[in-house]
Amino acid sequence: MDLEYFKLIDRIVDLNVAERTITVEAQVPQTNTIFEGHFPGYPIMPGVLLIEAMAQSSGWLLIALTKFERMPFLAAVKEAKMRSFVNPGDLLKIDVSVVHEGSGYAITEAKVRVKGELRCNATITFGVVPFPHPDLRSHMDAMAKRIGFPLQALGND
Amino acid sequence: MTGRNARPLRYRINYPQYIKGLVMSSTFDQVATIIAETCDIPRDTITPESHAIDDLGIDSLDFLDIAFAIDKAFGIKLPLEKWTQEVNDGKATTEQYFVLKNLCARIDELVAAKTASA
Repeated sequence: MDLEYFKLIDRIVDLNVAERTITVEAQVPQTNTIFEGHFPGYPIMPGVLLIEAMAQSSGWLLIALTKFERMPFLAAVKEAKMRSFVNPGDLLKIDVSVVHEGSGYAITEAKVRVKGELRCNATITFGVVPFPHPDLRSHMDAMAKRIGFPLQALGND
Repeated sequence: MTGRNARPLRYRINYPQYIKGLVMSSTFDQVATIIAETCDIPRDTITPESHAIDDLGIDSLDFLDIAFAIDKAFGIKLPLEKWTQEVNDGKATTEQYFVLKNLCARIDELVAAKTASA
């Protein structure tokens, strides 16, 4: 994670286009200014950032399904549950599946686990639109490389 | 039951029309229930003549919830992007897609097309 740049996920460990699933890993930093405020003497990962981590993981799955033609934007978060604390240094495994691909929108279900234990989950709705700016598309291409997006997974569905 | 009077009445029913009316109202009833539950709008204020946007005040985000529920309930994919494009291009009016009786007719067409291609 690079919280200062809002990069909530580190790498894609599995992408299955046919099954419409993705698995992503994210390492919560041991120290960060966020933990100084949230909370003093009792540092825990803010729930809103965990939701963002689930949204970013979902986003990569939707980008894969649209073959980098479209960008998902967060539209609604439902049934978000923070089941137990996520602590500094935890390694998150985030599993996402697609609930529905509509016309111009999609709904995903994301689960965050630490050492196999479910810590939070959410159902998330995205508007899925053609990339609104070429710079954004280039940025996502660069990000894809950084997080190990398996381009070969796109060709075989 | 007034058995003696019931029989002539039954024969007067125009069956094809009666069945068609049932199918139509069933789509409308489902859609109206979906809208009422999704957007917290009193069910009795929703009529076939209601315009989802202008009369019921449903915004685009709430309409996504409705679209999802309709897609799921009818096993179709409402072509929202195509409709939006047509309206933006001046090739269609919002009434054609968002007045509920028209929306229900579109849903029936999509269901029929899906059944035909299955």
